[in-house]
Amino acid sequence: MDMDKQRLEGLIIDYIDDRLNTVDREMVEQELRTNTDARRLYNELKEVMRAMDESPVLDPPESLKRTFDNLISQELEVSRPAKTVLFHPAFYRVAAAVALLILGAGVGYWINKYNTQQEGMRQLAHEMEVTRRQLDSTKQLMLGMLDNEQSASQRIRGLNVALELPKADKEIVDALFKTLHNDSNTNVRLAALDALARFQEDSDVRRQLITSLSTQRDPMVQIKLIQLMVQMKEKAVIDDLRDLVDDDATMKAVKDEAHSGILKLS
Amino acid sequence: MTDEMIMEAVKSGDLQQATLLFERYNKRIYNFLARMTIDRALAEDLTQNVFLRVIKYRTSYREGAKFQAWIYQVARNVFSDHYQTVKNRYSNFVDVEKISDHIPDSGENEIQQEKEILLQRSTARLTDEQRELLVLTRFQHMKYEEVAELMDTTVANIKVKVHRAIIKLREFYFELERI
Repeated sequence: MDMDKQRLEGLIIDYIDDRLNTVDREMVEQELRTNTDARRLYNELKEVMRAMDESPVLDPPESLKRTFDNLISQELEVSRPAKTVLFHPAFYRVAAAVALLILGAGVGYWINKYNTQQEGMRQLAHEMEVTRRQLDSTKQLMLGMLDNEQSASQRIRGLNVALELPKADKEIVDALFKTLHNDSNTNVRLAALDALARFQEDSDVRRQLITSLSTQRDPMVQIKLIQLMVQMKEKAVIDDLRDLVDDDATMKAVKDEAHSGILKLS
Repeated sequence: MTDEMIMEAVKSGDLQQATLLFERYNKRIYNFLARMTIDRALAEDLTQNVFLRVIKYRTSYREGAKFQAWIYQVARNVFSDHYQTVKNRYSNFVDVEKISDHIPDSGENEIQQEKEILLQRSTARLTDEQRELLVLTRFQHMKYEEVAELMDTTVANIKVKVHRAIIKLREFYFELERI
């Protein structure tokens, strides 16, 4: 039976949900029996649907209830009418007010001092947590964007995010090198190199960059890589540069850059 | 006592009753936000905001309105408000900000955990709208009718969008699996 893919996918989803009438159900079963692609589609859809269905229900942390209880208490305070203290003799009223003022100021001073300290520490911990979270989110954002096959500009934006990261962990470095070596788009590769250049102090990154020099075939990337080596004063690459100069397959522009690199590094 | 009756009481000033609503809804709302943000610490913050708003804006609860729909709408607003500000930092970037995987440590075996990671990573790649539809209908098992009411649209519309979201999810999931 000739069925277009989208319609089939929709039907299979409904089939898995057991929402089909008898006629449609039999039609789908027939398709699944005879068509191996349909069968694979069914298995895959079933797996993700089951995964979602059986995904664990998360337990909220204990602190959530505590905070809520505080919230209620605070809100109750706000809406409670203020008590009034009545002193009949005006003199006593004034005296009491003054006494309270002095006492209140004294106590207030100490409470404030303590609170300020506590508040400062709370804020610091909070800021650190926020920063940690923001770094994590930056990293995942970047990895997600690098995954985007359709849009080279999206991948480049992802690499720009890497420029915001203060430090590279292994996962990011690997993703950047993977992009440097495998991406089909030259601009994306150049952007990956820019991102990696930021981490040149890291010995692992340096080592991999040096290795890239001998494996990279894209002339624009080769040139940029050579320039980076020179900037890093990486003498270890001199032999690799000589190989590039001697290799007939190397483009002239790259050879020139390599030659100039050898001179600068020697 | 129905949710609606409790909320009416809260609206009239009986704030203590809100605790009942908290007990009935905090897990659901937390899970919704955790699945949307993929960050449990953030989800806790945002869940607090939701209940804060329920209390502070109690007068805006319309009599006769379905409470579940109302509180979920508050949750959706809290979610999008949050990303309005974070978005401003990354003004170049489109849509979804992904935050690190937080796997529930319930002693599940490795294969289960890997599947959960795959699932989180894949749902992270969906648009906010798609992810929301799947979280509500598939993770939280809300009926299409309830979701349609929440989003002020038809069941047919929701169904089509959910289908598309599942199809997209499948793509991402099996792409990631192949790596």
